[in-house]
Amino acid sequence: MELINSHILSFLIFMPLVAAGVILFLPSLATARVVAMLASVVAFLGGLHVWYWFDGTSSALQFVESYEWIPSLGMKYIVGVDGLSLLLVVLTTFLMPLVLLSQCHISEPSQKPFLALLLALESGMIGALVAMDMVFFYVFWEAMLIPMYFIIGVWGGKRRIYAATKFVLYTVIGSLLMLAAAVVLYFAHFRQTGVYSTSLLDLYQVKLPIATQMWMFVAFAVAFAIKVPMWPFHTWLPDAHVEAPTVGSVILAGVLLKMGTYGLLRFAVPLFPEAMVQAAPVLIFCGVVGIIYGALTAWVQKDAKKMVAYSSVSHLGFVVIGTFAVMAGGEISVEALTGATYQMINHGISTGALFFLVGVIYERRHTRMLSDFGGLAENMPLFAIMLIVATLSSVGLPGTGGFVGEFLILNGTFQAMPLAGVLASLGVLLGAVYMLTLCRKILFGPLDNPENKEMEDLNARELGYLVPLAVLAIVMGIFPNAFIGKTKPSIEHLAKNYKNYSLDFRMGSDMSSKSAN
Amino acid sequence: MQFEVPQLTASFYGAALPIIILCSTGIVALLMAVSKSLASPKVQYWLNFGALLLSLLLVIRLYAISGAASEMFLSGGFVSGRLGFFGQGAIIGIALVISLLMGEGYLKEKFFRGEIIALFHMVIAGMCTMVATDDLVTLFVGLEMASIGVYALIGYTNPTKLSQEGAIKYFVLGAVAAAILLFGFAFLYAATGTLRISEISSSIGKISGHSWVELGAILTIAGLGFKMALVPFHMWTPDAYEGSPTGLTAFMATAMKTMIMVAAIRMFENGLDGVHAVWLPVIGFMAAASLLFANIMALAQQSVKRMLAYSSIAHSGYMALSLASMSGGVSQYSVPSILFYLIGYVLVSLGAFAVIMWLENERCENIIVDDLTGLGKQHPYAATALALFMFSLGGMPPTVGFISKLYIFNSALSNNMIGLVVIAAIGSTISLYYYMRIIVRMFMMDSSPVLGALIKPVASKVTSGVVLVCAILIILFGTLLPESGMRVARHTSGEVTGGL
Repeated sequence: MELINSHILSFLIFMPLVAAGVILFLPSLATARVVAMLASVVAFLGGLHVWYWFDGTSSALQFVESYEWIPSLGMKYIVGVDGLSLLLVVLTTFLMPLVLLSQCHISEPSQKPFLALLLALESGMIGALVAMDMVFFYVFWEAMLIPMYFIIGVWGGKRRIYAATKFVLYTVIGSLLMLAAAVVLYFAHFRQTGVYSTSLLDLYQVKLPIATQMWMFVAFAVAFAIKVPMWPFHTWLPDAHVEAPTVGSVILAGVLLKMGTYGLLRFAVPLFPEAMVQAAPVLIFCGVVGIIYGALTAWVQKDAKKMVAYSSVSHLGFVVIGTFAVMAGGEISVEALTGATYQMINHGISTGALFFLVGVIYERRHTRMLSDFGGLAENMPLFAIMLIVATLSSVGLPGTGGFVGEFLILNGTFQAMPLAGVLASLGVLLGAVYMLTLCRKILFGPLDNPENKEMEDLNARELGYLVPLAVLAIVMGIFPNAFIGKTKPSIEHLAKNYKNYSLDFRMGSDMSSKSAN
Repeated sequence: MQFEVPQLTASFYGAALPIIILCSTGIVALLMAVSKSLASPKVQYWLNFGALLLSLLLVIRLYAISGAASEMFLSGGFVSGRLGFFGQGAIIGIALVISLLMGEGYLKEKFFRGEIIALFHMVIAGMCTMVATDDLVTLFVGLEMASIGVYALIGYTNPTKLSQEGAIKYFVLGAVAAAILLFGFAFLYAATGTLRISEISSSIGKISGHSWVELGAILTIAGLGFKMALVPFHMWTPDAYEGSPTGLTAFMATAMKTMIMVAAIRMFENGLDGVHAVWLPVIGFMAAASLLFANIMALAQQSVKRMLAYSSIAHSGYMALSLASMSGGVSQYSVPSILFYLIGYVLVSLGAFAVIMWLENERCENIIVDDLTGLGKQHPYAATALALFMFSLGGMPPTVGFISKLYIFNSALSNNMIGLVVIAAIGSTISLYYYMRIIVRMFMMDSSPVLGALIKPVASKVTSGVVLVCAILIILFGTLLPESGMRVARHTSGEVTGGL
């Protein structure tokens, strides 16, 4: 157990990558599929292992592994999870087998590289989530782009090249800003301590004058805001989502966008706390505009996928305002922050399911226009159930995960900035309007189109990847504590102490002594 | 000036043996060209291979045994030290790889001729002289030996309209640049009374009026900037790169760049550091102009080689950025950063040009971007490798391109050159767009039968092997080996920086 615990994170990062390499050299697609599935399931078991052994009573960074990487510049290989990243790591490993399952009926020759890219993407995402060294994080943050670029650009729709290029260039511009600020931070740390280090644990200790903090915060915040995407940096998202293949959209919505909000929590807030407090109203403003603008734009979409894409802009606005709900005393609202963390996961599950469902009807009819559908509830009852569960979770009906997340965020925001809370609540209302419109146009009404009459209901494979998502969406609404519980100490620690943030750490080899505490 | 009687000891012959071998094989190849059987490509191939391999092994041995301090021979005419041997090793290694690639390509018969191999070896000997000298005149002789040979090689190996145009343009502009460089050296000599690079810096402190030194320094930069292909002295680069047979283009992009960067390091770090206030803005401007202008120009290129030419100008810009950052000896990392960048750039360029040589043939001598359409489906191996090289040139992790840019930015920022780094970052973003254009063509568009038919990879284990080795190395230097690479670079730069 000690051996597993001390290397589990490295295993989670590199095992999928190795599997991706192996897949490329396998002769048959069938074996490749089995290997990919096996790798993703093993990774999920690894994720569960981390979840199980994670000490939910401590805010420390856990399962830490630390090695020298480029000692002359103080760069290290440090990985670890805490409450901020734990759920996201598990979510990533959880989504991947489902994504692969949704692919296993396609037998084109181009499937092999596709599977390899998906696994490489998993490596990149997990790496970015657990990296605790600035440069090491940056490597994964950028490397993650490459598989996604190909997934959109090669297997996407008609305007895939435009969408893929836009996706990469937007992200890279943001990343370079972040890199510049990170290097300045690195030199500031050197000047204050005389030691070169890019370890986040060291960089948290740097104290900067507010003016410097401000522009560095802006650089980091813009980089992450592009990824979230936060209004007004969201314009790449509808293009990327609409052109990406279904699984690309699922991963994009499920995990990649969360990298932005995670980055805000992990980097922007604790590294530049004073600047964050000053900039919080602006970010909350952008978040609120995003909520309402995203909702209104989603409402008028005729393409189901575009609608879900804009709904992401709206839902992630909630996460942004939850992250920056600074209360009068200077603390971040714990409730809002908990809600933000929870909403990240919940959005991943409900929006992932919605993209899968849109993919299901697109595969049958090769259209996503809402006007082409209607009355599908009659001949596709299982599909209807799934779509309704996903929709309700997405709009935040009590009893689904969406309710818990949005409720906590709004509750915290009301205490911090009442006006923003009121406006954001409007977004909840609008969310219900457009998502139910989506449901109504697809599921209800007369089933008069003969092509729709011939559509078959969900098959076993489709149920295989949709049922876990639907079940989880409901379980997360009924037993939120099972999920939030372990993250609480980290979130409270960040909310209360972000101005003097520091992280303890527990090496992976010490993790098995959990029962002793 | 007094002339010492040169002391030609055994250790001198030992240290200069690689150059001596290359000069002699050059002459032998020329003599062999008169006989039909001896001039056959096969004989020439093995002569070339043997001479290069032997001298490479010797240089590696010399690098390994050379100590921290360098030894001067021929009153500075030949320096036996790590930096010089590093440069020689890189140049000879590159030449070896390129002749391996040439031996597989469609130009094999044309390249492995007595007179071409003679020129080729003279060029390499000239380059090896230039990187290991402390004497301005020898430096100039080495540079001209290399340059004149390259002009001839470009125009003569495979005489087409394009290659002759490239050769003439390169020659005319190169001759002017050589004159400017010589003019600069003359001013330096007139002001300081010495031709030794290492003595210039100590003399600068003693003289009061700096104006001649400053003028000399600026003219020297202009002359070196031409060979480095820095804007505004870059005009020859696209034409010469496009016109040359691809193997020679690769040779210019890698070996020529190594030679000139090593010479520039010596010149600026050892010789002209005292007047860095004069040359810093000049080279800073040239770096910034190269980074912006070349990256923007590359966006519009159709010919892959022309695009890589502009890309090479931009990469010179990054190295010039680091050259600028070593002024005043503030950053201990600037010289090692340049060397590390060189290692990375050489590997990536060799890989990229090897892929192009792999694809081209008599019917398709100048591959344009559109020719690559659909390559991902037809030849996934070549296309994947080229994509990797493009990502590395664009500076994406986990390749060496990212780490070497990081090192460069690090050394520039430790010298507070924020403005230049911002320009470099903007340039990087622009560059990613045109590198991605190639990837888009290869993987994301379907080929039309007309275009796709032109490109036919030759089934060659050597070429694919070179591509594979380059690909593996650029990933290793980007992930596991950046520290080891940096250690070698710092060890090497000890000769000029005095550290370690």
